[in-house]
Amino acid sequence: MSTAVQDRPASAGSPSGGAPARRAVVRWAWRLFRREWRQQLTVIGLLTLAVAAAVVAIAFAADGPSSPSAQFGSANDLLTISGSASQQAADVAVARARFGRIEVIEHATSPIPGSINTVDVRAQQPAGLYSSPMLRLDAGHYPAAGQVAVTSSVAAIYRLRIGSVWHEGGRALRVVGIVENPGDLQDQFALVAPGQLGRADHLAVLFNATDRQVRSASLPAGAELQTRQPYAVGFPPAAVLVFDTIALLFIGLIAVAGFTVLAQRRLRALGMLQAVGATDRHVRLVLIANGAVVGIIAAVTGAVAALVGWAAFVPRLETIVEHRIATFSLPWWEVAAAVVMTVVTAVAAAWWPARAAAHVPVVAALSGRPATPKQGRRPAALGGALLAIGLAGIALSHRGKTPPLIIGGLVFTAAGVLLLGPIAIGGLAVVGRRAPLAIRLALRDLARYRARSGAALAAISLVSGIVAAIAISAAAAAQNETPAGEAGWTNLPANQLMVYLSPGGSFALPGILPQLSASRLHRLEGVVAEFGHTLHSQDVIPLAAAESANPPVFQINQVSGLPTTTLAGEVTGTDGRKGLMPVAQLYVATPTLLRFYGIAPTAIGAGTDIITSRSGLSGTKILDFGVSKLKCKSTSCAAHSGSDSGGRAPNRRDLATPVIQKLGLAKYASAPNTLLTSHAMTALALHPVLAGWLIQTPKALTAAQITRADHWAAANGVTVETTSHSAQVGLQSVSDWGIAIGALAVLAVLAMTVGLIRSETAGDLRVLSATGASGGTRRLLTGATAAALALLGAVLGTAAAYVGIIAWNRGLHSLTAVPVAKLAMLIVGLPLLALAAAWLLAGREPPAIAQQPLE
Amino acid sequence: MTALELRHVSKTYGEGAAEVHALRDVSLTVEPGALVAIMGPSGSGKSTMLTIAGSLEDASSGDVIVAGQALAALSRNERARLRRRSIGFVFQNFNLLAGLTAAENVALPLELDGIPARLARKAAIKALDELGLGDRAARFPDELSGGERQRVAIARAVVGERRLLLADEPSGALDSVNAEGVMRLVRATCQGGVAGVVVTHDAQLASWADRVVFLRDGRISDQTAPLPGPESLLTQGHSQ
Repeated sequence: MSTAVQDRPASAGSPSGGAPARRAVVRWAWRLFRREWRQQLTVIGLLTLAVAAAVVAIAFAADGPSSPSAQFGSANDLLTISGSASQQAADVAVARARFGRIEVIEHATSPIPGSINTVDVRAQQPAGLYSSPMLRLDAGHYPAAGQVAVTSSVAAIYRLRIGSVWHEGGRALRVVGIVENPGDLQDQFALVAPGQLGRADHLAVLFNATDRQVRSASLPAGAELQTRQPYAVGFPPAAVLVFDTIALLFIGLIAVAGFTVLAQRRLRALGMLQAVGATDRHVRLVLIANGAVVGIIAAVTGAVAALVGWAAFVPRLETIVEHRIATFSLPWWEVAAAVVMTVVTAVAAAWWPARAAAHVPVVAALSGRPATPKQGRRPAALGGALLAIGLAGIALSHRGKTPPLIIGGLVFTAAGVLLLGPIAIGGLAVVGRRAPLAIRLALRDLARYRARSGAALAAISLVSGIVAAIAISAAAAAQNETPAGEAGWTNLPANQLMVYLSPGGSFALPGILPQLSASRLHRLEGVVAEFGHTLHSQDVIPLAAAESANPPVFQINQVSGLPTTTLAGEVTGTDGRKGLMPVAQLYVATPTLLRFYGIAPTAIGAGTDIITSRSGLSGTKILDFGVSKLKCKSTSCAAHSGSDSGGRAPNRRDLATPVIQKLGLAKYASAPNTLLTSHAMTALALHPVLAGWLIQTPKALTAAQITRADHWAAANGVTVETTSHSAQVGLQSVSDWGIAIGALAVLAVLAMTVGLIRSETAGDLRVLSATGASGGTRRLLTGATAAALALLGAVLGTAAAYVGIIAWNRGLHSLTAVPVAKLAMLIVGLPLLALAAAWLLAGREPPAIAQQPLE
Repeated sequence: MTALELRHVSKTYGEGAAEVHALRDVSLTVEPGALVAIMGPSGSGKSTMLTIAGSLEDASSGDVIVAGQALAALSRNERARLRRRSIGFVFQNFNLLAGLTAAENVALPLELDGIPARLARKAAIKALDELGLGDRAARFPDELSGGERQRVAIARAVVGERRLLLADEPSGALDSVNAEGVMRLVRATCQGGVAGVVVTHDAQLASWADRVVFLRDGRISDQTAPLPGPESLLTQGHSQ
């Protein structure tokens, strides 16, 4: 029998067989993938999810943030000019002379009946030199003289439609079109033809100027110059960088865990390959080729799924981010980079288990025995060092301003957790030494195969860490929200609505209460209660302000009424005179309001004058406006002291040093956050008067409900206030969705990993069955494995999240608000869920355990 | 040049109290064209001897020489090349790669050695033809019977210019008819100049060998000329 190869090529003498050998190995890897792709569905699914998330993050980073075009159009500079008409004309002439080609948009303000909000009426060229990106016609046509086009929200507020007439400022304008600002869908405006506005409150002058022109420009008095930012404000590029780095880390860890499963399942076949003459390189190539195939499929599928999902989500996203989005105007090179990086990461992740498989002795591989795990302390030290380096990188990145440091920091932190994870597994096994048999065996198996479960534990820790970080950050953000007058805080929660008797609402201090009859007030109470009922509200809380016995009648902004007590701080005016500026509306701490906030009256100190959730109120004084001299400008007033009183108005009954106590009141600017106690009411001889109502609804108010509230308020002669955007809802929603998606991802990783560990110990299961163990014992064994991994991952992830956030913030303020419920869900709920899922699904041995790619 | 030579080979597994001596000072020489059967009880070291002879694991001490090359002097890659070119393995459980057809399984050692797929396939088809499996070349292993799978494994072990055929219980998973057929093929291969070493429990199958080596507790306890094989029954005038 002779089967010698005729014409053996000279290149056949290559130690590793050259290209023909590689082709043969890759062909086999591809065939195996085609046969066994179902066994890799979990890995492919998780990788696809991660890629899709990364691509969506890229798309969102590119198109999600508000574009400066909403304000600047295609110009780089914006000069806002106010003042008299002649002054405006002179300033425009100066700007034209200085900056060359300019475009002027005229603005005027029109009040909305029943609302504290206003509508901007603007005169703008539809095809303006710079402003065309700020205008889009949705229906009808652009206005000519005597015509107007309005946004859909303005149309809803005034109940307008194309063809109807809008009476604005004493003139009648026929509505001829529906328009919008594509860059800001919240921009409520009415568009008239240039020259049709009448008197403009202010002018927006758009132009392109050089840096030198801008620097050397001497601006007209009262003018404000803004320059377009290079990228959208409010969305730091570091955010997408961090997200994509985390996504790639997740891809890497999942791939390592998944390919370790694969390498174990193919161990006998790989041993056979070596027995017939394959080198270590060939064995590695089998798994690396598989990694490349999985990576390519996941990358392409994930990217396509992300783009399809993105296209479907864009209409909804436009309403969330409040601007139009060009669906496929994406940074394609970044998308391509994410796809390529996914494949590279998958290949790199396959290398480690491939290397381990190549090192398994041939005889051990042929018998399907994994290599004996090596014990050592070096990984612990290395893991600790990597973790320390990673956290230092995060801390030194200055909140992501140094990209290499943040990327390196995250990678090193993940690597540190990867190496430290197995040690934690060992510790858990020691703790569980006295546990029942199934749990003890599960923990011991985890410890025996800790090198294999380490990558999965790291992936679980990573996802848990992200979930914990979201929850912690959201809680800290809520905790750190600052009161009115300070940056970063909204006026109301999305599910609350304030009804004011005062026309100025919360923005006019002091609040001026119109003098209403008792019967009118009584009727209003019924109307408000009925309106609350239509909003499904269970909480319609009357709000009382405090008045002196005989306050003078004030007139502010054409509204006359009785001033209510406010809190004021000392200020120095531009003329150098000292005075008092109201800083907070004071409401009365009625039993109803205290009960609404869950504050027991006994929690208020006996000598306390004011309870508040605000900080920085020391040095303020209570003003009751009994005989104060007020100088009012626009919507604010300053109480100027007489020169003979050394900073105090004569005869004014203020409380110079009120005792202030911080309590858990509302942390929103317009909600009642500063209350007068009964002690102060008595001391200042004040009496409560109805000032409005707080209505809390079960869910966030919709745009339609808000518009309806405006109409209702206008019809009933009151003013309503709602939150101006859904930022809080967004934060809460992101937090909740993050936790839900993270929990699903953890369960998927667990399904994959537990399958691996239990397949490696399938023999133990058979022995257990043979010695009489019940199905319940087998289920508990699997359940305990899943629960232990979930518990360790959640604890490690939460710890890493806290340490990472502290390093990121370089401070401990994230510890001030612990999201106990959400962290409990993560650390306790998730392991229990994993236990239950594994218990239910571990009834029989998966077919894949028994199948080997050998015949 | 001998095809296989073991000189004072010992193999120890484990350390301390767990130490097991699988082979103790074993020496064996197999000439080209000779078929040697290794027999012995379970745990006597038969398979260990075979895997050491095939360079799948290292001896703890002693020398192993295959086709004139001392295995101890070879790197991992050089041993892999030796297995591709000079050593063929046949296992009890066939160990065919499930994703490859019969022809591709047989061609695998050649392709791993750098032979282009077309030439390797040609040689593989020829090997399968000689074993009566030419019409099964495009079948996957799970589409073949047990006997056919083992014949494919033998074709893979002898394809190319192999000098040493190592078979570990090659008929262990087969019925008696197929077992006889497999041994007949092994015998025929050896008659073509390949040295063969077969591990078996079955004295009947061992009778196909030129020489039978008995192992007990890791030591060669006896070496004998074989009993008259089944072929002797066909010789005219033979009597027991």
